[in-house]
Amino acid sequence: MRFVFFLIFILVAGCSSPDKKNKSPSTLSESIQLEVEELKLANGMTALIVPNHKLPIFSLYLFYKVGGKNEVKGITGASHFLEHMMFKGAKRYGQNKIDFLIEGSGGSTNAYTTNDQTVYYENLPTTELATILDVESDRMENLLLDPDAFEKERQVVLEERKMRYENSPRGQLYLELMQTVFKGTPYGTSVIGDIPDLKSVSRDQIQAYFKRFYAPNNLTLVLVGDVDSAKAKAILTEKFGPIAASPTVKEAHESLKDEAFTPKLTSDIVVAKKGESPAPLFMLAYPTVKAGHEKGYALDVLSSILGSGKSSSLNNQYILIAKPMATSMYAAHQQLEKAGFFFIGGELVRGVKIDEFRKDLMARMKNFCATEVTERSIQKIKNNYLVDLYSGLDSNAGLAQFLGERELLFGDWKKYRQELELYEKVTVDDVKNVCAEITSSKSVFVSVWNKHK
Amino acid sequence: MKMIFLFSLLFVSQVDARSTFLDSVKRMTWGDLDVVWVEDEKFPRFTAALYLEDGALKDQSPGITQATFDQFTAGTSKETQRQLAEFFDFYGVNLKNSVTHEYSVMTVQGLTRDIAPVMGKFCEIWKDAQYPTGELNSYISRSKSQLKNLVTSHSSLADRVFRKISLEGTPYVSPVEGSLAGYDQLNSEILKKRLSELRVARKVLYLAGPKDVLAMKDVIAGCGWVAGKKMAPLELKKPGLQSAIYLVPVPGANQAQIRIGRYVTKREVEGKYDQFQFLSSYLGGSFTSKLVQELRVKRGLTYSAGAYVSVQRDYGRAGITTFSKTETTAEAISIISDVFNEVSQGGVTPEEFKHQQGHMIGGYAFGFEETSAFIGQLMLYDHQARPLTELADFPDHIARLKANDLSRANLEVFPWEKQTIVVVGDKSLEKSLSKIRPVRILDYKDFL
Repeated sequence: MRFVFFLIFILVAGCSSPDKKNKSPSTLSESIQLEVEELKLANGMTALIVPNHKLPIFSLYLFYKVGGKNEVKGITGASHFLEHMMFKGAKRYGQNKIDFLIEGSGGSTNAYTTNDQTVYYENLPTTELATILDVESDRMENLLLDPDAFEKERQVVLEERKMRYENSPRGQLYLELMQTVFKGTPYGTSVIGDIPDLKSVSRDQIQAYFKRFYAPNNLTLVLVGDVDSAKAKAILTEKFGPIAASPTVKEAHESLKDEAFTPKLTSDIVVAKKGESPAPLFMLAYPTVKAGHEKGYALDVLSSILGSGKSSSLNNQYILIAKPMATSMYAAHQQLEKAGFFFIGGELVRGVKIDEFRKDLMARMKNFCATEVTERSIQKIKNNYLVDLYSGLDSNAGLAQFLGERELLFGDWKKYRQELELYEKVTVDDVKNVCAEITSSKSVFVSVWNKHK
Repeated sequence: MKMIFLFSLLFVSQVDARSTFLDSVKRMTWGDLDVVWVEDEKFPRFTAALYLEDGALKDQSPGITQATFDQFTAGTSKETQRQLAEFFDFYGVNLKNSVTHEYSVMTVQGLTRDIAPVMGKFCEIWKDAQYPTGELNSYISRSKSQLKNLVTSHSSLADRVFRKISLEGTPYVSPVEGSLAGYDQLNSEILKKRLSELRVARKVLYLAGPKDVLAMKDVIAGCGWVAGKKMAPLELKKPGLQSAIYLVPVPGANQAQIRIGRYVTKREVEGKYDQFQFLSSYLGGSFTSKLVQELRVKRGLTYSAGAYVSVQRDYGRAGITTFSKTETTAEAISIISDVFNEVSQGGVTPEEFKHQQGHMIGGYAFGFEETSAFIGQLMLYDHQARPLTELADFPDHIARLKANDLSRANLEVFPWEKQTIVVVGDKSLEKSLSKIRPVRILDYKDFL
């Protein structure tokens, strides 16, 4: 991300048609009905459109299927570097013009890069639709990659890396965890890139990478807001229709086999990393399943039981006690396109010994499966998902992001219906089973502390 | 010509936005409680934000008001903290609080079908919060540990030090969230007493949601909420001139956090809120803002640069937030100084000015997109005793501004010699920074 680079946790966020007047639903799967118009161009580009005329504004999201997993040694960080360079000008909208055009009309723009995707977005007044689609088609087809701008941006990216990792104990913790869990796989590198690669990657390498991945047949575009669908489709066809598909992108994706992303843990791993944190920070992770796998829904529910809300299991057992062991704790199930992992993390109270805490946590994890997973705790999580569903869709941008992620990951935005049904169907046994499964599998425990050697 | 046409289009579309949304604001009275309802039929959920005209200014030691809200659900005479947490979590309720020096807000968000049980429980706690000692001691222990670990976030540490230095000598100097010494003063009786004061503070209930939210009227009748007393405005003097650079060394830093700014009084900003909003947006935040262009785009010195002129009712602060690598920190500060001088001396080009006007007028409608954000905006206007017509007329105000209004605003708020400068980074910075101003070294532990 150019200003704020973050990781997307692919948990259910939810969705609803902004124009519908919703009655209180009793279940998740009854909660929303989306009406989405689709456009598929001959060159392979997919566009999704949801009109919402409440305000004279719209959000445009472009999901390119390229991220950290597509990089190899020597060009780690290429996706993210390219994300920065996409704002540095194209043929019709030259150097530094894109930001001025968007912000000068009252809009905002940014982008983010993850292991699996690079996403560009704009929020703009209605009047700017044709212009912004022209900008997006221009930079997809004719990116400048000006050499001077390239070198300046290299420095900015290096500063961003320092800010995210070298100067941030939490960033160090996350990076170490990913590198350990996914060691030897394409997920085992930092999305922002390794420092030697960032210093040495050439403009030509980035140009080749761009040519391969920035093409209509590698893009899902989502438009939500005050737009006329017929008019929008006509503009999209005019602007993007003539752009040639990438002949090699399909092969690039097909060459990435799921097996190559599977963590290869043969024993429990404990990593103690020295960092500038007077209180120990930790993450405990178990490899799980890739996005869309049926078990993933039960794992999501498990992570919420353990780590979401003031009444969560971890909060009750480690924080809201007379002598708290932690100041904050969280749990989540992160599902990437090719693999996933379940994790628990937090910050310990100063004075709590990290090794003792780790042993205690590992022992309690097994008990959690028996004691914390109940009919009530599962119903509580489903209630919470319903509220999250609405919050996630309060804006045009929220809905666009929701649709785009599903289209990109599953090739079908309608997958959300099945997802909501699967969450609805999760039972106590389902959650207990996945809980037992992960707690008997190999784990990675990473901590960052200034007392580590 | 194209620019003028675009400007007109933007203007017309934003006027449509304001008429739609300002019409959705309904003011009413329930008993003697003022209620503001923003009708929003999008989803079957509600937001209830209770504004209290009472904040951290009344704290005898730092953190009392914040702890009173943080520990609000720590237990009543009938229910434990765990029972209350389980209750609200079961309904998917989001309970939040926000404390400033001048006012506080408690926000409850949930599904409209659950209004009766959720708000009923909220009222029970409002009348019967007990602040049990065991739960409070646990909170104190965690808060102290977190604060001692603040050194892991150089940005947050810089904000905290800057607040203290720039507000020294004013009642606003005390950190709202508390301090190590402040936490030691907390006990159940103090928090109960503080809640009893808050019960009689002036209140306004801000609601958002579909018509179903009006059913809340009967539920909250049991809360015993009364309108409360209005606080007298404070007449404040500005703190003394701080001409040094304050360097706060932290271990292992390869970047330096930079904070530059000063305290502003109500008198300085009254009637000129829009000018100062225009100025801060022109200087920092967006990609095309002046400081981001000068520091990042032209020189690659930073990743981000922000600017703000932030005002409550009786006080405010103006400042710049950025960072740079250790070797270029002094250069970044010098460039900020140059920008201040350039803007104050009328160096804003007509193109830059028009661009900024387009940015603010075109972006106006986005402030109405999410109802919770819109409520926050309404609340601030009410707190500052500004009529809502000012919000409605914002695009017209911005369209009427001239470039010299921007220069004047910058001259008033950012005269270089009156800026407090705080740098959090490596101690080796002392040498390069001393070429700009005398440097005073501070220990970060003195600010916890």
